[in-house]
Amino acid sequence: MVDENKDKEKTSKRKVGVYICYCGGNISDHVDVEKVRERVEKQPEVAVVRTNVFMCSDPGQEMIMEDLKNGTIDRVVVASCAPSLHETTFRGAISRAGGNPYIYEHANIREQVSWVHHGDKATDKATRLVSMAAAKAEQLKPLESIRVEARKHATVIGGGIAGLRAAKDLADRGIKVVLLEKSPFLGGQLANLDRIAPTGDKAAELVSDLAGQVLNDDSITVHTCSAVENFEGYVGNFKLGVKKQPPEMDQEKIKQLGAKDEAVGEFIPFAGIYNGAMPSVPEEFTVETGVIILATGFKSYMPYKGEYGFGEYEQVVTLPELIRSMAENKAAGNLMEYNGRKIRSMAMIHCVGSRQIPGIHPENEGGYLNEYCSRTCCSAALNSSNIIRTSYPGTRIFEFYRDIRTYGRGQEELYEDAARNQVVFLRFDDDASPKVARNTSHSGDFPLTVKVKDTLTFGEDVEAPVDLVVLVTGVEPNNVSDLVEMMKLPVGTDRFLLEVHPKLRPVELPISGILLAGTCQAPMDVGEACNAAGAAAVKAAALLGRGYVELDPFVALVDLEKCKGTGDCVEACLSDGALNIVEIELDGQTVKRAQVTPALCLGCGACVGVCPENAIEVAGWTLKQYEAMVDRIVAQEVAA
Amino acid sequence: MTSLEHSQREGKILILATETCAYPGADSVGQAHSSYPTNTFILRVRAPVLFPEQFYLDCFKKGISGIIIMSCGEECPYDGAYKAMATRLDRVYKMMRQQDLDIRRLRLTAICTVCNRAFLNEVNLMNTLLQEIGPPQMAQN
Repeated sequence: MVDENKDKEKTSKRKVGVYICYCGGNISDHVDVEKVRERVEKQPEVAVVRTNVFMCSDPGQEMIMEDLKNGTIDRVVVASCAPSLHETTFRGAISRAGGNPYIYEHANIREQVSWVHHGDKATDKATRLVSMAAAKAEQLKPLESIRVEARKHATVIGGGIAGLRAAKDLADRGIKVVLLEKSPFLGGQLANLDRIAPTGDKAAELVSDLAGQVLNDDSITVHTCSAVENFEGYVGNFKLGVKKQPPEMDQEKIKQLGAKDEAVGEFIPFAGIYNGAMPSVPEEFTVETGVIILATGFKSYMPYKGEYGFGEYEQVVTLPELIRSMAENKAAGNLMEYNGRKIRSMAMIHCVGSRQIPGIHPENEGGYLNEYCSRTCCSAALNSSNIIRTSYPGTRIFEFYRDIRTYGRGQEELYEDAARNQVVFLRFDDDASPKVARNTSHSGDFPLTVKVKDTLTFGEDVEAPVDLVVLVTGVEPNNVSDLVEMMKLPVGTDRFLLEVHPKLRPVELPISGILLAGTCQAPMDVGEACNAAGAAAVKAAALLGRGYVELDPFVALVDLEKCKGTGDCVEACLSDGALNIVEIELDGQTVKRAQVTPALCLGCGACVGVCPENAIEVAGWTLKQYEAMVDRIVAQEVAA
Repeated sequence: MTSLEHSQREGKILILATETCAYPGADSVGQAHSSYPTNTFILRVRAPVLFPEQFYLDCFKKGISGIIIMSCGEECPYDGAYKAMATRLDRVYKMMRQQDLDIRRLRLTAICTVCNRAFLNEVNLMNTLLQEIGPPQMAQN
């Protein structure tokens, strides 16, 4: 009992500051934040509770820093969004105030309260989570991060425009780069396009220029036909097991190569830059690297059979198919030709595979809907329409759309140009998609008709007879489930990889040292993908610039007074060499005690659960801290 | 059943969620704005292998009605931890039986970073069970 009282005396000196965020209504719309503040103020360890509309803003962080500097508090709890978003932010604020960043605990009251619970119960639960965090914070001790050497080397996964841009930007900063690409070609989806909206740049030239720079840079090693099969390590010291094998994908593109040696380094239309060295047998190798940039890209949405007649009528095609046809058939004339047929009238149907709505659009095989806007397809469709109308004035175009989204410099002009070029626009409601059918009522002259209730003419039923229907298909993330599993990557509900914060940390992942570039994260145009790649390269260079990285000090700690040297922890340890029994001098006697090698310790806690003396703990995640949190879950007085 | 009786039967569910898989999985449920009952309390853990047998029994004794261990399963970043965890749980179940605790109150499952449906299913299953069996008897002693 005496010892317990001593402990209480010690811990009662802790001054926990609690900072609760409104998150601009994201939290406060469902949680009565001021009521939480009033309740938490009553907790014995809590010295001060403050609220702010955005705790992550400068004024919010300065509030915490000020309280630390003037000694009002010595432990910090922030109650806000998920810790993956802002734990680092607030630890940084504590450091800037001269404090130890590990005296911090996070209460997740957005993702795990206000976004899933409502009403008084949400406020009660938020109170309890904050109280639990304060109980843990009371027991936190200052810790020193573990400094390890960082390999000045980066690996870029994906050889599309974003991967190429990131690789070149890293090499320009003096960092050795390995670029891994699954297919035999560089250039990604950009290589499947022709003229790029809104500037009219040739995709072939953009890809050739950048890929040429990459291939001619001695700091960059490019491996095509190569995929990551194994992953281990941590920031500064990742190890990737890579398998290079004869390609199973892109067989159609490979046929275009002809004499392979002649094609090396050249742009193959609608394939990309062939890098040569296609392996005949699988080979495996290891890449040791400091940072990883994911540039795994996207794929075009493929309509299901029967979607606007796709797969049922040969005259229904996708926008990428139209773009390729236009690039390969440039014969002049009054009418555009598609597959040898003259096109007098054609329809473009927007938002195919994008902005899908539950209850209106069917889920795909995986049970998903693409509820997001693919962002680039409106401009791509208008760009194609303008080229057709100016090159083949006899070909009439009807654009069936829900909304036109031509964001960004020079893109609204595409819309205006289309109007000037006499493209006819028809608008439909979300639940009244156009109907594509075989033409039976117009003397059979046009093979198909597209019917719609046009809201621009206040609901008039309009029927357009056409030779061709082009589905303006959106984008979907590439399937990177293997990497997601290996690297524990966060994935959004839209199935794109999910950044730490969409505004403040847009190219970072919660896994330190792994960054995002381009359309693996969201639909982007070429410029945006290159922007993201440049940002990722700068972040990577900053991480590696110091030559070392600092790792969280969450490793096992032995209480030498309690330890009896039983060796149970050594037996349970999952990392060879992380724990050993050694002989030490203690109070003038030679005794056996457990000893931790921090650089090898995984911090998993396998040793904690087996120690009969409770003499070992994981720093920052101790059993006593968890017990204190459970006590707050069941405490009667917390939510009163 | 009165609301008080209902609330008592609802009990409190402790969820031990791994920081690399299940905890971001719970965040993903939040990002999807999928509701679930408020009697769930998620503790972020590096690996649940940290907790000794007695921790679980103490939780029940303190008044926790159900515990769901949401691990990474075979995807656990600590090689061998999941197996060690499963072996330990066998011992916990044995101890629970000795104390007349319904072993269904403690459940080990694997939840990934995007396992929204699985997360909701586990929470609902435990809640259904607790509605049926009420709070643990040892908590009332």
